[in-house]
Amino acid sequence: MAELDFERRLERLFAEAPAMADEDAFARRVQGRLDRGWTARRLVIGAAGGVGGVVAASQLFLSGLAGRMETASEGSAKALTAGLREVAPHADWLPALTSGGAMVWTASALAVIALGFAVARALSEI
Amino acid sequence: MAGARYANLHDVELAAHAAAGDRSAFGELVRRHGGGVRALLRRMGAAAEADDLAQDAFLTAFERIAEFRGEGTFAGWVKRIAARQYLRRLQRRRRLKALVAGVEEGDPPAPGDADGRIDLDESMKALGSGERLCVSLCFGAGFSHAEAAEALNLPLGTVKSHVKRGLEKLRARLAPSEDSAAEGNDAHG
Repeated sequence: MAELDFERRLERLFAEAPAMADEDAFARRVQGRLDRGWTARRLVIGAAGGVGGVVAASQLFLSGLAGRMETASEGSAKALTAGLREVAPHADWLPALTSGGAMVWTASALAVIALGFAVARALSEI
Repeated sequence: MAGARYANLHDVELAAHAAAGDRSAFGELVRRHGGGVRALLRRMGAAAEADDLAQDAFLTAFERIAEFRGEGTFAGWVKRIAARQYLRRLQRRRRLKALVAGVEEGDPPAPGDADGRIDLDESMKALGSGERLCVSLCFGAGFSHAEAAEALNLPLGTVKSHVKRGLEKLRARLAPSEDSAAEGNDAHG
């Protein structure tokens, strides 16, 4: 019984958190390391996302997708223009809006951003 | 730094905030329990590197905060992490074997304070390194004898012997008046 009492007393003594003069300073050091780690992590993820997006987009374009997309885009632009002409026969701003080349490159830029975002998101979830 | 808005929150609530990415809430947990973790590491024998080890333990705890579900105390959970990290560091430096084999007498305890009381830290110095590690793990970090044996790569019987001898030495040195000092000293959370 005395042994058990002593063991309990020892556990209490171990559990006592001794007051330390630099408690706040210690906590600040830990939080500083956490903040630095977090910033570095975000930078790495952002950079990896950007690189991943560019690589993915370049692979798509190198595979000849750009030419096919431009052709398809021109075809769809013509169809879109024709459709819109029926709706608004007097709108002379339509050809500028639906010019195929501009649409392809705008879509490509958006695809790079989307791929970069997707890669960054995937990395941050790991 | 963790502001007053965290002062009234329980450790489990703070841990939930931290798990959601609130680093200030975790800072409050560090402020509350940093002393206890550092003290445990010093009692285990870490001395000069105790603060670095404690910082590493808290960083690990933040990374694994989602694993803390409040079944035990947050302090106990971090102490286990810190103890295991210290043992791993000793193992990497090939010092663990020599330490756990150490049964030699430690330093003689310093004289007690004005009331004739000798505190736990001073008493722990009188233990051999193996006894100190085993007693700290079992009574400070909440390891069972079997867990300590596994962590120290020692036979269970050896751990029990270290603990028994360590307790005998501590009992001889800790004045009974510490009973009253220990009462009412509940750990936070």
